[in-house]
Amino acid sequence: MTPTGKVLITGVGAATPLGNGYQEIADALLAGRSAVTPVTSFDAAQHPSRIAGQVHTIPCPAGEEPEAFARRERLEQLVLWCTASALEDAGWWQRRGDVRVGMVLGIGAEWLKIWEADALRGGRRIHEPERDAFSMIQADQAKLGLSGPAVSVSAACASGNHALALGKRWLELGWVDVCLAGACDSGVTPLCLAGFGNLRALSRRNDDPQAASRPFDRGRDGFVIGEGGAVFLLEPEASARRRSARVYAEVAGCGATSDAYHMVIPSPHPEPAITAMRQALADAGIAPESVDYVNAHATGTPVGDSAEARVLRTVLGTAVTHVPVSSTKSMTGHLLTAAAAAEALACLVALERQALPPTINLDDPDPECALCHVANEARAHRVRTAVSNSFGFGGSNTCLVLRAA
Amino acid sequence: MTLSSTAATASVSAGVVCDVAAACALEADAAQLLALRQGIEPACGEPLPASSLKHLDEQTLVALAAVYGAIRAQDLRVDFQRWAVVAAPRFLGRAALIVSLQRYAVEGAWGMSPHFIPHRTLHSVSGTVSMALGIHGPNFGIDGGPAGSSQAVLAAATLLSTGTLPGVWLLLSGWEREPLVPLAALVGKHEAFPKCRAVALALVPRGCAANGLQARVLPGTLYRAGSNGTTSRTPLFGLDELAAAVAAPPAPGAHVAWRLCCGGKMELANAADGATP
Repeated sequence: MTPTGKVLITGVGAATPLGNGYQEIADALLAGRSAVTPVTSFDAAQHPSRIAGQVHTIPCPAGEEPEAFARRERLEQLVLWCTASALEDAGWWQRRGDVRVGMVLGIGAEWLKIWEADALRGGRRIHEPERDAFSMIQADQAKLGLSGPAVSVSAACASGNHALALGKRWLELGWVDVCLAGACDSGVTPLCLAGFGNLRALSRRNDDPQAASRPFDRGRDGFVIGEGGAVFLLEPEASARRRSARVYAEVAGCGATSDAYHMVIPSPHPEPAITAMRQALADAGIAPESVDYVNAHATGTPVGDSAEARVLRTVLGTAVTHVPVSSTKSMTGHLLTAAAAAEALACLVALERQALPPTINLDDPDPECALCHVANEARAHRVRTAVSNSFGFGGSNTCLVLRAA
Repeated sequence: MTLSSTAATASVSAGVVCDVAAACALEADAAQLLALRQGIEPACGEPLPASSLKHLDEQTLVALAAVYGAIRAQDLRVDFQRWAVVAAPRFLGRAALIVSLQRYAVEGAWGMSPHFIPHRTLHSVSGTVSMALGIHGPNFGIDGGPAGSSQAVLAAATLLSTGTLPGVWLLLSGWEREPLVPLAALVGKHEAFPKCRAVALALVPRGCAANGLQARVLPGTLYRAGSNGTTSRTPLFGLDELAAAVAAPPAPGAHVAWRLCCGGKMELANAADGATP
């Protein structure tokens, strides 16, 4: 442990298909309702999958002109809302210019999203590289008036956990005073829906959207694409205690490995994912039997869910019979680059409310995914330590441990 | 060359100093890209199957070739299993997206290639290199724009600072000039086809390599004149700047310094005579 001591989460900014802001999302997660609906932002009639978890209104953050905000690209709106509201929630908004605020964000394919959105509006930005001078994280830094170092990372669905691990490390090294860390993605676009659809990764249960995302269920047929973001304000414990800040949790441990097997298909060899989980538990200094809740990556694909179940059974050992596991993607859809961050938020909810968000649509649990499921309804549970798995294309395996503080 | 497993304990609060165990800068024209796609001779490990090479982005091909080039140049005999990969491609997938947009307009959803997402998104370069070298440490992509080079340096330094990784491949890639039409339309038009560039650095903890090349990464706030010892004349770090330094490394005892646009600075030094940046 470095002189910094513990790294705590003292602020949350989020926009998800279940709502915007921590309280609204927490209530919705524990209500166990699906946010999956038919795609409304464009005509998806010719797509194999025509459903999504969509953020219908991204709030305009304080200090931003609503008209100017409305003109921003959707992904830029998510980044700006999540970062500004995390600073506000943590109580650093007014003093953000007085400290070194670092920023590490998972941002999904921002240039592809910008070019696609512009082209579908009839623009030619993709042919005008001179307009591509500044990336989204630089623009966000400038807009918020932040001066600390900033990095945007991309490991597909695992991006948010990498961002939290890097942000935690920057605080431990003393490179920043506080750090924004999380991830945003706006994947509900025509080409993205078509790309994942043609990979045959998406659910085609178009006639029953709310039942389409069904991780661990025998009837699962792929994931439901989603969008949104969650950003956390990370702060050294001493600083947080000194100003009596609200503390959501400690970022207790992180682990990351690669399959080195295939760009899309999970490895049939579970060792790298097992190693990522064990790294995170060791980093947090806890034994598997001390885990109170696992937010699984489980997206609802036939191969991925059973592969993760094998990993969990190996890592948890005999504790697998009583450590509760759920996949909140059943309610939100799969937020892609933002998934890990959104699911870290679900873990904060479990820690704060002492209740477990469920896997909805788990009507017929797949025997290959035998775990201690939180099926269909939230339930009260003592939670001191929550674990979130996030695996991604490119073979990334990540695990995050959050602990009550 | 083999690497020592005994790294010096370095104070990282002021920055990260590491050895550059191997480096390679490459650029490829249309003919060279075609040759790479038809089969890259691996410097270690198994070759990627032709079915994978066929769909790789051009930047991924050149970055992988640069990694193999670096390994060969230093005759690195290393098990890369626990290493990490940090890759910063610049505007990956622009030309491919132009094709996809055209096909989507004509054919609808059916026209979108299922290979686009795996091979044209930011993690594609790092993921492919991890597969090719059997790397099981973390891999991720960075930013995707002009700022990505600086950000990748900071991210790689952060990973090395943990003391848990034996090495990190830092990969920067991009086009000489952005291709603004489908690349297939440029085949055979030698003058019009831009070159694709990549630099690979094998970064290891200080004291692990013996060739004298060292990198020092100093984090800092965004550029303000005079902060972190930088001035307005300190050049900005980027792919082309690093490629030039790799092609003509500093003389023994000398170093070159750049500003990182995400905050801080990077120095590349030749400490062969004992000088330390």
